[in-house]
Amino acid sequence: MSEDQTVICRCEEVTIQEIKETVKQYHCSAREIKLRTRAGMGPCGGRTCRCMIDKIVEQLGGPSVSNEVSLSYRPPVRPVSFGVLGGQ
Amino acid sequence: MNSMRVDQHPVLGNMGQRQKLKFVFEGKQFTAYKGDTIASALLASGVRTLRRHEDKGTPKGIYCNIGHCFECRVRVNGQNSVRACLTPVENNMIIESNVSRTMTSRGGKV
Repeated sequence: MSEDQTVICRCEEVTIQEIKETVKQYHCSAREIKLRTRAGMGPCGGRTCRCMIDKIVEQLGGPSVSNEVSLSYRPPVRPVSFGVLGGQ
Repeated sequence: MNSMRVDQHPVLGNMGQRQKLKFVFEGKQFTAYKGDTIASALLASGVRTLRRHEDKGTPKGIYCNIGHCFECRVRVNGQNSVRACLTPVENNMIIESNVSRTMTSRGGKV
């Protein structure tokens, strides 16, 4: 298996190759990567891959991570179902 | 098949007699011991694929095993997105791979 086939976001199965190509094509931030590839939008809420995506984009020369544009943390912090919030 | 289970541990000793539990995964009967999680019972029985990716169909199993990554989510007694690595097996549990049949039969994503 080549390095480019390494899965970064396991929930949405986004490989490092897809992230690299997207950064190259759009020169975009980590947040835009999330919106374009769905990396970090799966059931785990980006808890597994958020830091990796931030770092990869930074290393590839995308806009550096700042508090304003990094992958946002939104409540609830842990993934819960709508049933938990609103009853069955 | 219980080939992957550690029954005699050099430090923890012999596991001895434990209560056996029965459960069903994807229509097949399996045996677990009391205290097993769904993930550990299935791994001990040689089952490594807990579900398939909803979109790409690739096999998914245990990844973090601490409830962090949601890779091992399965359907337990009709409830979706239950983490196999955190949920202890109970007698006569019905466990399915986490695919809603009504959704997939219509061709939609889960």
